[in-house]
Amino acid sequence: MRLILLALLALVFPATAQEDMPAKAWLEKMSQALREKEFKASIIQLQADHIRPLVYLHGKVNNQEVAFLEYLNGPPKNAVRVGNRVTFIEHDEPAYSIVSNHIQGVWPAAFSANMADLEVGYQFVLGGRTRIAGRPGQMIRLLPNDEFRYGFQIWLDMETYLPLRYDMLTQDKQLLEQIMVIELIEFSEPPAILQEAYKQEWPAVIDQAERQDGQNWQFAWLPAGFTVVVRDHHRLIGSHEAVEYIALTDGLANISVYVARAGASPLPEELITRNGLSLVSEKVGNAEVVAVGKVPTQTLTRIAKSLTLE
Amino acid sequence: MDKLGQEWVSAAVDGETDAQTMAELSADTHSHDKWHNYHMIGDAMRGELPQNIVLDLSASIAAAIELEPAIVAPKHHASNVAAPVTPQIAANAQQSRVVPLFKQFGQYAIAATVAMFAIVGVQNYNQSADDAASPSPVLITRPLIGSASPVSLQTGPVQQSQGYTNDQVNEQRRRINTYIQDHMLQQRLNTGAVVEDNTEVIPVPVNQ
Repeated sequence: MRLILLALLALVFPATAQEDMPAKAWLEKMSQALREKEFKASIIQLQADHIRPLVYLHGKVNNQEVAFLEYLNGPPKNAVRVGNRVTFIEHDEPAYSIVSNHIQGVWPAAFSANMADLEVGYQFVLGGRTRIAGRPGQMIRLLPNDEFRYGFQIWLDMETYLPLRYDMLTQDKQLLEQIMVIELIEFSEPPAILQEAYKQEWPAVIDQAERQDGQNWQFAWLPAGFTVVVRDHHRLIGSHEAVEYIALTDGLANISVYVARAGASPLPEELITRNGLSLVSEKVGNAEVVAVGKVPTQTLTRIAKSLTLE
Repeated sequence: MDKLGQEWVSAAVDGETDAQTMAELSADTHSHDKWHNYHMIGDAMRGELPQNIVLDLSASIAAAIELEPAIVAPKHHASNVAAPVTPQIAANAQQSRVVPLFKQFGQYAIAATVAMFAIVGVQNYNQSADDAASPSPVLITRPLIGSASPVSLQTGPVQQSQGYTNDQVNEQRRRINTYIQDHMLQQRLNTGAVVEDNTEVIPVPVNQ
């Protein structure tokens, strides 16, 4: 009798453990799952009036993370990651590699990183459960701690802890962007295509010599949790305009700040595209500060105004 | 792509190539859709395809690509695939107004992807620029040129903004696009830096 009770307890225990798990633990499991699981996810990405289907595969070959991302519609466009190198293969350009341990374009990099980094800007709150891609999913809200950033909702697969859906929402709960898994397959060993990718020789990482250090711009104010990740000066695509560049992030929201000589035709003071990307410009003497990012325009305006040169 | 090339791709799918051939192959962008198709065929032969799948989709993608080699911006409607060529020419004409701007940037290998976003985003915005009373917070509409003006009886700023010529409006749109594109591109380049120590700047070239 006692044995039966013990067996019952052992059966029930994992379920209750999941029942009691705080939101942060769920997210940490997600981060771990994204780094360690072997899986294939068929995904659709919704942005404004665009729906883009893509496939993401991830696995570990010889203890190195290997991932493959393919956009299924339109001209072929793929990205392959082996360890710390990501190679982009696109239809109209020769393939090229960069140093990165994340393929940009599916889940935010922060999802597979340290969740504690996000706690400054966001509160993790456990939500309800629902079925996504034929699997039970647990919802976690990432509520912004202030009005300077957008919020997120993530649904995690209750079995694998992999993300099944991800919504980016304004403060009024308007949907800006959504990524949703429609089929998730877990493997016990890396899929053949990833083993092939691991064996292949990819183009060398593009020459790193030319990213020059930027000036020492300082911000008198930044929203809590935002830090400078990159500063340099470079020329913009297309226009070849020289700009001073600073990249800011709080883990989920990324902001670019540019300082350039003011152009002949003024930029709009603020602009919001339908996928939530905002742009503000601020004229300072004969220079122009431009801030771009998926945050409310007020945030960008305030950041642009707080820029000073030391 | 010649016959020989096709055999390569096929062999690559089956994992029967050496590293050097593979590197050549990966530089040959023409082969990539073939590669995808062979995988699909391989999957089908091994019976690994789910039922009712994507075979049709992949065929229609190939058809779409064949129909339209110069595709640059994403198509809004997949239904075009089977349609005669004429409406697509019209669609192209509309796109070609913007697209050439993005052909100039030889120095970036990356831009095409990014460009698609930017064009679409800003065009959408522009189409509804006069819809100033829109309650949607997602699409906040302001005059595209000049300063933002409150919706009121005061007409000064509006008249002022009408003083801009078409060229200036185009120039402004182009500048907005360059900034948005550069931002998107930086997201791709910066990911290496984001996860590392914050003080360390990963040097990545921005010009060739």
